[in-house]
Amino acid sequence: MPTKSHVITKDQSLFSFSELTTYKELFWMLAWRDFKIRYAQTFVGLLWAIIQPSFTILILYVVFGRFANVQTGAIPHIVYSTCGVMAWTYFAYVMTNAGSSIISAQAMVKKIYFPRIIIPLSKAVVGFIDMGITAVILIVLMLFFEVPVSGNIIYLPIFILGSIVAALSVGVLLSALTIRYRDFQYVIPFAVQLGLYITPTAYPAEFAIQRLPEWATVLYFLNPMAGIVEGYRWAILGTELPHIMSLWSVASMLVILIAALFYFKRIDGKIADYV
Amino acid sequence: MSDSNFAIEVEQLSKLYSLGSTNATLRESIAALFNKTSKKEESFWALKDVSFGVKTGESIGIIGKNGAGKSTLLKILSRITLPTEGRVTINGTVASLLEVGTGFHPELTGRENIYLNGSILGMARKEIQAKFDEIVAFSGIERFLDTPVKRYSSGMYVRLAFAVAAHLEPEILIVDEVLSVGDAEFQRKCLGKMGHVTSSGRTVLFVSHNMEAVRKMCSRTVWLEKGQIKMIGPSSEVIDAYLSELKENAETVRPGERSDREGSGVLRAQEIRFSNPEGTHLQSGKPMKVEIDYRGEGSEKLTCIATLGIHDVNGRRVGTLSTKLTRSLIDLGNGDTLTWEIPRLSLTPGKYFINIFLAHRTEADVIDWLQQAAAFEVMSASFHTESDEVYYEKDIVFIDHSFRVS
Repeated sequence: MPTKSHVITKDQSLFSFSELTTYKELFWMLAWRDFKIRYAQTFVGLLWAIIQPSFTILILYVVFGRFANVQTGAIPHIVYSTCGVMAWTYFAYVMTNAGSSIISAQAMVKKIYFPRIIIPLSKAVVGFIDMGITAVILIVLMLFFEVPVSGNIIYLPIFILGSIVAALSVGVLLSALTIRYRDFQYVIPFAVQLGLYITPTAYPAEFAIQRLPEWATVLYFLNPMAGIVEGYRWAILGTELPHIMSLWSVASMLVILIAALFYFKRIDGKIADYV
Repeated sequence: MSDSNFAIEVEQLSKLYSLGSTNATLRESIAALFNKTSKKEESFWALKDVSFGVKTGESIGIIGKNGAGKSTLLKILSRITLPTEGRVTINGTVASLLEVGTGFHPELTGRENIYLNGSILGMARKEIQAKFDEIVAFSGIERFLDTPVKRYSSGMYVRLAFAVAAHLEPEILIVDEVLSVGDAEFQRKCLGKMGHVTSSGRTVLFVSHNMEAVRKMCSRTVWLEKGQIKMIGPSSEVIDAYLSELKENAETVRPGERSDREGSGVLRAQEIRFSNPEGTHLQSGKPMKVEIDYRGEGSEKLTCIATLGIHDVNGRRVGTLSTKLTRSLIDLGNGDTLTWEIPRLSLTPGKYFINIFLAHRTEADVIDWLQQAAAFEVMSASFHTESDEVYYEKDIVFIDHSFRVS
């Protein structure tokens, strides 16, 4: 049943971690709904999910690989950047959808109680479909260019976990901020657009380290995905281990995570009043 | 907490809404940081110092005019929003029927939506599976189970939605006016379901504008006005007091001056006139005309659904005039007068009240909804005969008829 015996006062926060576990089924249900709506019912949905990353990969190859002639060592640039896109796609999808999730679920939020944080959290699941599609493209390219899989692949789950945490932290924070200040709706597409370039998807992070002053490098690595994208490539393609500066990414991710949880908890009881 | 005999215990509950800040922009918030003497926010108490208890197994009605705080109270009880002051103690599992159809997705099929909606309402997957056939049977949409709900008629949609909600088994059920949806047959089903819930010893909190239903289902009733309890006690006493105040209100206050209305207010009823084009007073069997003047902002016309409900002095609905009944929409704008024409009035002499409802395209997008907006009196009858006729005093309507012997 939805709600057990309880006391309602102004100070009581609506969400608690122990309560979340009782809403497991709802979490999967919401994820399943997103999946159904996006892919299962329309052929176009699936097609779109293939076209989008394909074009991103192609354009990154043309701009960075050909025009800028970015060197990626023994690994062909297109394989190098596809691996980066794979990590970035997941982050971008989850951040975008989680960020706008509560505003889109207004009708639900205004009418029924459940821990609201489930809405943005459930977006983490469907993002894997997009990531999977890009992974297939990557596998095809690796076979074609005869790039072997690195033995570091056993560490890939760590980086996947990292991208889930990073994407959800930013997504949950944005979802809460968007409720309070609608302006943040416009931040999301901007962040996605910018992020593709300021994250080392199509070039090595080493590039930024060499060409930027130290303070700017720190800023560069405050993007939580900077270190993670490098990690994906290290695990899959066996490129250089992520730079020590990547620790800034980890630190920034943790700060965002804590900020997201605090801010969400603070605003949680007022969500229905704001939307 | 204190007495476990209580299913719901509300203590000094208050809720303050601030009008300005709900949609504040970042710019305004930043400006407020630097500007400490910023203008005081406008705010109002949607609920103020409300206390009452509901015993386990009791059915309690909540009545009051629009804007009296009924929905705020329900929102707090169902944990959608938090109170500003006071506390509520709830003993038992709660489900609320505010949420009929919540989370329904138009692209998904009826079957998929049953599972989705069920889990949003807090049912376990197994529970939904076990009750699936029952839910489908209750809704009566078997044939369309695998059709996306976007192809459903609004009636089917609501029936399916209610069917899912009706199969929740909470210890405390909070019901909001859902019974105003669906056809008569379906409403009977819903009332039956609620009656079943009540008789099985569960607690029901029922918010409604339907006084007959409240009288029938609830032993006690709370009358809210301007966020406070105006009266609490046995249902029939409270409802009688409420109805008599409404009557007074409808007779003395002009519709344009009323504040107890709901809707966006883009258009508002200002003035209501009743007339008999063929005579000086309203008469059964003669035509009747109801004219409603609307005022609003802007010059744009809106495509509207308009409805006029007629109630007798006991608060019982006797009939409805609506553009919806003919499946049509009207274009209405600032300065327009909406005229309803009844070619032959079949109401017996007596006093009646009207509710007026105006919505933009769908009933969900309310523009102006005013209950007990005005009163009219049918003075004499000439329904069956040309002169003042006799009629049965307990009758509400005249029925055209003839008789013969063979």
